[in-house]
Order: sequence, then structure tokens, then C-alpha cells
Amino acid sequence: VTDPATLTLVEVASAIRDRQLSSVEVTGALLKRIALWQPVLNAFVRVDGEEALVAAAEADAAILAGSGRLPLQGVPLAHKDMFYLTGKLAECGSKIRKGWVAPTTSTAIARLQSAGAIRLGALHMAEFAYGPTGHNQHLGPARNPWDPHRITGGSSSGSGAAVAARLAYAALGSDTGGSIRLPAHFCGVTGFKPTYGRVSRANAMPLSFSLDTVGVLALSAEDCALIGAIITGADPLDPTTDGAPAWNMTATRYPPNEITVGVPRAFYVNDLEPDVAKVLDEALVTLRKLGTHVVEVDLPDQTAVSAAALIVLAVEATSQHSAWLRERPTDYGDQVRARLHNGLAYSAVEYLEALRWRGPALAAHLAASSNVDIILAPVSRTAAPTIKETDIGGGPSAEVAIQGITRFMRPINYLGLPVLALPAGESRSGMPIGLQLIGRPFGDERVIALGRAFQSATDYHRRMPKLSDAHS
Amino acid sequence: MPSEVTPERVATIAASARVSLNATAAECVASAVNPTVARFAAEKINLPIEIEPSTFTVVARGEIRR
Repeated sequence: VTDPATLTLVEVASAIRDRQLSSVEVTGALLKRIALWQPVLNAFVRVDGEEALVAAAEADAAILAGSGRLPLQGVPLAHKDMFYLTGKLAECGSKIRKGWVAPTTSTAIARLQSAGAIRLGALHMAEFAYGPTGHNQHLGPARNPWDPHRITGGSSSGSGAAVAARLAYAALGSDTGGSIRLPAHFCGVTGFKPTYGRVSRANAMPLSFSLDTVGVLALSAEDCALIGAIITGADPLDPTTDGAPAWNMTATRYPPNEITVGVPRAFYVNDLEPDVAKVLDEALVTLRKLGTHVVEVDLPDQTAVSAAALIVLAVEATSQHSAWLRERPTDYGDQVRARLHNGLAYSAVEYLEALRWRGPALAAHLAASSNVDIILAPVSRTAAPTIKETDIGGGPSAEVAIQGITRFMRPINYLGLPVLALPAGESRSGMPIGLQLIGRPFGDERVIALGRAFQSATDYHRRMPKLSDAHS
Repeated sequence: MPSEVTPERVATIAASARVSLNATAAECVASAVNPTVARFAAEKINLPIEIEPSTFTVVARGEIRR
């Protein structure tokens, strides 16, 4: 093995377990990369290098002693700065939580630790995960490794940038309205947003309890399957996971020729920039070559579903933040404060009607797509725009701009569906373009399976940005 | 249900939530959310009284056996 940075999560985990590489070597290599890339990307908010190296040495010792065969033994990861770890800062991209030390550990982090993972530090995020671009008034923007003048997407901005630049083998993120899928698309990595209720949200910072989903950004669908196997499952601390099925790794290898993919006739294919439309067409060619059945599908009007999602998100976020909104309003960034104010506009009846409609809306979606396993859709109309053109602050046009970026995201969160967002091509200017594989509820393994098949036939997920490009 | 949000309505809800909001901000909020409220109202949703938020969980869990 030459350069550990070229390996995927699955490959490096295997190399460490089999002693082809030591955890200390791998962790040290990533820390060197972080030192080089961080001034360009602003991907990390804290790097705990010494702690990581101590943990790596312990992992290597356990392997040498024959007691270290855990799935992620000695593998360095980093996570969005909203996953609590006892005794560690979790500042959530905010001024309000500056200096806040978590009194407990999130279930997702605890499960990764139990699987042997090492923590490199904490990653940049939109303030309180309430922003889709990667801008942050307090931290400055995170920057895209393919072109640092362009956005990473958000809110899991540091997760997208760090994985793309090979500064961590995987990173936890959260997705309430696209916060895993947008950075995956803009940064050219693979993002897995599980079914709502499949992964515990306990002791991860909440934004909207009806929509929040904990997931992961990594290089490949196979990597996402490995993390999925570790973080999914029932957790007494999060009742939404009660009764959720155990992860089925065998099902992540479901044959593509037994999968039917639906392509929406409307909404997700409207107003796409030519580069994105071309990538969608090419992906269909690839899927057909894999033997996947492709049909067109008429989904219920997604604009109504999207409106319901916006109402639920706005009201729940404002409710979560109401105490700080009363006591510390000026400590929010302008855009986040403006968006939190938007949640004050809806009546209780509107909110509850939007919430009550969720079941019937999901039933209508499932009926309309009863003959398909997975829906193929773009993540966004465009590849990554520039930081400058998306620096919209909190003015009157901000909500319109945000809704434009998150247009293809919100219905999925409202319906609670699993999605794999994976790199599927690039724009004429060389920026990554991703697509969404949207599954049926608890069909997480099926979307991973199709992603694996797609990535066995393409190499977009293997493409790696160069630091020289970032400096140009 | 009214399908237009006015700055007055925003100010009233903000006051009931004990959040300070000046007139300019209330106007900005009304303008920002009006398209969403109008689109949702246009759907003319009439739900049976038996439907509650957890109906969603029942529908989603129905797919586990698929």
C-alpha cells in the first residue's frame, strides 16, 4: 500500500486489521494532509491530533495482541460539530454554543467508537445546521476542494469537504432538508441519508425532530454500508428507532438486474442545467447496461409536499430555538435569525395539518411508485455555485434562494425516505455532479446495493481533488 | 384557513411566542413565507379526524415487510 489517502474506508479498515498499514501511519498521514488542506478549505473547526495518535497507537497494540478485530479498528474519522462526545466541545457552528462542552455522547458516535473508530476532530457546519450552502457568519465559509471559490453545500459542509479532500475516511452528517446530500453532490462524495427512524438521533443537536436524520458521507456506497451496519438499529434513547429492522448487509449486494428504477416525469427533471441533465441521461445508460429496469413514474405534486416540509421545518426549528431567540437574538447570524423568524408566521393548525398530512402523503407517494424500488433524481439543478454568488445573508431574497438550492431535497425528508447521493459525472468546469437514489421506507440496503453496482461501473467516486488545483 | 400571511399576523404570533420582532422584520417574514402558505392552502387538504402525525409511522413501517 503506498498512499493511505487513496484508500476507501473499507479498504483502509481491512489494511489496518491485516497489518498492511498501521493505524499510526494512517492517522499520521491524514494529519499531515489536514495541515496542508485546512488553510484552503476551513473544513475542521478543531483537530485533536495528539489524542488521535494516542488512540491509533492503542489500536495498533490491540491488533498486535490479537484482540483488535473490530470493523473500524484504528480508522480515523471526523464528524460534524453537532455530535456530542462527553467532555468535548460541540459548538454546532454557532456563537451561542461557543465553548459548550457536551455532557453526554451521541449514540451514533458511541457506536462508531465501539466499532474501533478514532476521532480526528470536529468539522465545520452551517450555524445550528440551518443553511444549505456552507456559509457560516461566525466561522467563515467552508470551501470546496475542487475549487475553493465554490461552496461545499451544507449544512454538513466540513463533512463534504473533508471526505472529498481525503482528510477523513468518513464523516457523520445530519440531513433535515438536504444537509448530507447537498455536500455530497457539490463535493463529489457519496452521502447516505437513512430512512427516518433507522438511525438514532439521540444526543445529536436537533433542528427539526420530525425531519432530522443522522447519516454519513464517505467515498463509496460500500463505505456507507459499513457505517450503516454500525450506526443503524434501535436505541432506547430515541423512540423513533423502536422496532426498526436490523441492518442486512447481504441485501446491500442485491443484484441490479432485479431492481426497477423510476424516473420522474416532472419536478425533478424540470429546469435542470444542461450539465446536470446530461449526467442524468448518462446515468440511465449505465443503469440499463447493468440490467436495471428503468421506467417513468408520475409522482404526486412535489410542490405541495415541499410546502408541507417547509412548514414543519420552520415551526419545529423556531420552537427548538425559542428560548435563545427571546434571550440572545443578536447572537445568531443574520440568515439563521431570519429563517428562525419565519417559523413565527405559521399557525398551530397549519403546522399540525402539515404534520398530519405526512402519512397520507407518504401513502400517495408509495402508491404512485408501487412498481419501482428506487427513484432516480438530481440533487440540485446545478453544480456548485461560487461562494460569492450564494453569499445572500438574511435579506428578503434569502428564503427564495435557499428554497431554490434545496428544491429537490425537502420532499424526501418530509416522506422520511432513504437516499444515497452519489457522484455521477462532472460539469464542463470540472465540478462534481451527483444524483439521488431514493428508496422506499426501510429500503436503505436496496439504495446502497444499486449505488454499489453503479460505482462498480463508474469511477467518479474515485476521483480526487489536488491541492495544486485548490491553490490555483 | 387564510392563505395570506400579513405582517400583523406574524407580529401577533411572535408576541404570543414572546419573541421580539419589529415591523420591518414582520413584513420580511410575511413576504418570505407567503408562497409556502399559499401553496399548502391550495392543496385543500381535508384529512379524516382519525389521521394523526403518527399515521406516518404506520405507513412507513408497512414497507418493512416488502
